[in-house]
Amino acid sequence: MGTTGPSTINAATSEPYGMEFPIFTIKDMVNLQLKLIESLNIKKLFSVIGGSMGGMQVLEWAASYPNMLYSAIPIATSYRHSAQNIAFHEVGRQAIMNDPEWHKGHYYNKGNKPRHGLSVARMIAHITYLSEGAFQKKFGRDMQSKVLSWGFDADFQVESYLRHQGTSFVDRFDANSYLYITRAMDYFDLANNHKGNLAQAFINTKCKFLIVSFTSDWLFPSSESQSLVKALNKTASDVSYIEIESDKGHDSFLLEVNDFYDILSGFISGAAKKLNI
Amino acid sequence: MTNILNQNLISSLITHNDKVLDIGCGNGELLYFLEDNKSIQGQGIEISHQGVKESVSKGLSVIQGDADEDLINFPDHAFDIVILSDTLQATHKPKKVLEQMLRIGKKCIICIPNFGYWKYRLQILIYGKMPVTKTLSEPWYSTPNIHLCTIKDFINLCEHLNISINESYRNTKNNIKKIRNPKSYLNNLLSTEGIFILTKEK
Repeated sequence: MGTTGPSTINAATSEPYGMEFPIFTIKDMVNLQLKLIESLNIKKLFSVIGGSMGGMQVLEWAASYPNMLYSAIPIATSYRHSAQNIAFHEVGRQAIMNDPEWHKGHYYNKGNKPRHGLSVARMIAHITYLSEGAFQKKFGRDMQSKVLSWGFDADFQVESYLRHQGTSFVDRFDANSYLYITRAMDYFDLANNHKGNLAQAFINTKCKFLIVSFTSDWLFPSSESQSLVKALNKTASDVSYIEIESDKGHDSFLLEVNDFYDILSGFISGAAKKLNI
Repeated sequence: MTNILNQNLISSLITHNDKVLDIGCGNGELLYFLEDNKSIQGQGIEISHQGVKESVSKGLSVIQGDADEDLINFPDHAFDIVILSDTLQATHKPKKVLEQMLRIGKKCIICIPNFGYWKYRLQILIYGKMPVTKTLSEPWYSTPNIHLCTIKDFINLCEHLNISINESYRNTKNNIKKIRNPKSYLNNLLSTEGIFILTKEK
C-alpha cells in the first residue's frame, strides 16, 4: 500500500515499524508527490484533482505550492475534518486497537492480524460513504432467505453486504495504515495553519478552482465546499462551484453521476483552451 | 438572458483583459461572449443549477450562489467591472445588492427591465392586470421578478444612495440609444429597458 508505512521493515531493528512509524500528514503526502513531480522534471501541473482525502491533497497543493499548478479540482472534500468526521474515524480506530490480534501494532510476525477490528472499521466507514436513500434503494429490508434466523446471522441483505465490504477490505489493507491515514485526515486543517483564517491559506494562489459537492454527501456536506468557496471569494480567486444532485452519498465522486463528467470535461477543456494546449 | 444589443453595448464598455464579475450570469452567454471578444478574466455567480452546469461546461468560472447572500464575501474593488443584467429585479434586497456591487467593482453595469414603458402602463390602466411582457412572461404569482421598477425609480434610488450614474442607455423597440437628458420623462415612457453605468460617488 502506498510507498512506506507501518508494515515496512525498519532498518534499525530489522522489524516492521508498527507503531514506531512516524505520524504523517496530508502535507507529507503532497510533499512526496512533489518529489515525484520534480524527479520527472515537471515544472508545473496542468491540474490537480482528487476526491475526499484526495481533495484535501488538492487543497494542500494549492495552498503550499501555488505556483506549481494551473488548476485545482477538489471534490467532495473539506479544508478540515468536522467533529463528526473525527468521531467516525475514532470508532474505526478503536475497533482495530481493541482487537486482541492487534498487539499494539506488532502483529506482523504473529501469523495473524486484527481482521475483525479492521473489518468493523471498514463497515462503519462504508456507511458514511453512502446515504440513507442509497441504502434504502439498494436494500430496503430485503432478506437473504425467506425466513428469519431468530438470531444474529446476517438475515438482511444490508448486513451481508456490509460484512462482505469489511472482510474483503482486510485482504487489501493494512490495519496500522488505516490508523495512520485516518489520523492524517483528522489532523488536516488548512485554516489552523493561518490562525483560523482559511482565506489566508490561498492568498498567493492564482490557479483556477473547480469545487464540486454532492447533495446527499453527509460525510463532506456541501456546506464544507461552500466555506471553501467563500474563502476563495475573499481573495477574488478564479473559482467555479457546483453542487451536483445525487442520492449516492459521498461515494458519488467515484461513480458516473449525471452532469458530473460534463462539468469536469467542460472545466478541463476550458482551462486547456486558455493555455492554448 | 442578455440580448445581442445589450451584449454589444456591454462589450463596448469593457477594456481588454478586464476582470469582470457577472452576477446572475444564467447560462454564461454574456461571459462567454466577453471572454471571446475582450479576453476578459470572467467570474460568474448563478443561482440555478442548470445555469451553473451550462456555464462551467463551457469552461467559464462560475459559482453556484446567491446575489443576496454571497457578494459580501468578495473584497473591495476586486473587479474592474461588475455586471448585473436582468437580475436586480429578482433579488430580495436590491438596495443591498447595489451597494455590494459598488463596493466590489470599480465600475458597475446594470440592465433593468423598465416597467414605466407605456405599453406596460396601459396593461394596468386598461385591463387592470399586472403587466406580463415578452421577457418577463411569468404571471405575478410565480414570477421570480419580485422587485420590478421603472427607469425613474432606479435613478431616484441612485440619488438616494449617492451613486453617480456615469452614463445611461435605453432600449426602445430593439434600438439602444444613449440617454442624453436623464430628467426627461420620455426615457421612462418609451423604453423597455434601461442600462446604467455606475460608480460610487466619492
